[in-house]
Amino acid sequence: MSASQAILAGWMEIPSSAVNDQVRTQAEDETLSALVGQYAGTLYRVAFSVLRNPADAEDAVQEAFMRVLRHRDTLGEVRDQRVWLIRIVWNIVLDRKRRAKTRPETDDVAELARVLPSGGLSAEEIASAAQHHAHVLACVDQLPAKERQVLMLSAFEELTSVEIATVLGITESSVRSRLFRARNLMADLLNHARSLR
Amino acid sequence: MNSNAQNPMTNGSAAISALQADDVEATLRLIARLPAPAGLEDRVEAALRSRPRTASVLSWPIAVEPGSNWMRAAAAAAIVFVVAGGGWGIYSHVQQPQAARVIVMPQHLAAPGGFSSAGAMRTPQTLNGPVLAKPVAAPPLQAVQAVQAKPSRKAPAPVRPVQPAAASKVTAQPAK
Repeated sequence: MSASQAILAGWMEIPSSAVNDQVRTQAEDETLSALVGQYAGTLYRVAFSVLRNPADAEDAVQEAFMRVLRHRDTLGEVRDQRVWLIRIVWNIVLDRKRRAKTRPETDDVAELARVLPSGGLSAEEIASAAQHHAHVLACVDQLPAKERQVLMLSAFEELTSVEIATVLGITESSVRSRLFRARNLMADLLNHARSLR
Repeated sequence: MNSNAQNPMTNGSAAISALQADDVEATLRLIARLPAPAGLEDRVEAALRSRPRTASVLSWPIAVEPGSNWMRAAAAAAIVFVVAGGGWGIYSHVQQPQAARVIVMPQHLAAPGGFSSAGAMRTPQTLNGPVLAKPVAAPPLQAVQAVQAKPSRKAPAPVRPVQPAAASKVTAQPAK
């Protein structure tokens, strides 16, 4: 082998750093795949509770995992991955909700009637239930943002008050006080709505 | 407890509020329990795989780790150097016009009781022409003429005429 061939072979050889990168990338892909399998459903339900649209919720979940992929170097430093992921998707859906135009309430009713479990109910009962839920959700939308967020997250049974506080970046006592205020405000709103009927 | 017993309306409205709160929470829990659509995980994973990754075609001759801090610091220092150098270059080339210097002349006061200048104003001297530090003396006219009259070749030395005094001395010697 001549000297020039030896130099070329040295340049064409795959460096050890590239092999390490490949191994690391593969490990990160496996971790990410495991996260998707474990938490995609939870993230979807969180996203749907805010956006109330299946396609938008799925997009939000995909965007959340894209962000995770972008910051996969810091994945090992995350203490509670579930709460971390919920926080990511929560910020995404709030941002989307803020930018989205206000949709008519009839869209929500139709969407709820399509999505809600029928459970052997007739079509009329399903429509009535969907209308009722849409009315309640419309009242929830009238709450101040801080109270509304706590109320919506408290509906997720898998989230403790400490975890809700972590997602929202507030203290646990703030979560409890906001939840108390939200319930009182909701009662007032529903009373007001019933008196108008 | 006492207040509730004294005011049954309060108790009743509290019960209604509790019912309404339960109603709200039931709706929210119903939404929160909705199952994710089938195949969501596969679609998310497919989207993650289809995302273009930043592939490195050429590898650096030296092993540069992604998290190497010294490389980042060097790059940041280079950027700062370039930006600061460019800024200084622009600053040094574009100078603000300086304000005209004003020389304040001392006010001339007439000497009390002395001679007056009769309204004469001192004017500054204008610039003179170039002055030579060592004035070159002009050569004398005779010397110039002698140089002009001098032939280029050396002429034979003229024959000196015998002086009459010396000749007389020779002739005056007595014969021995």
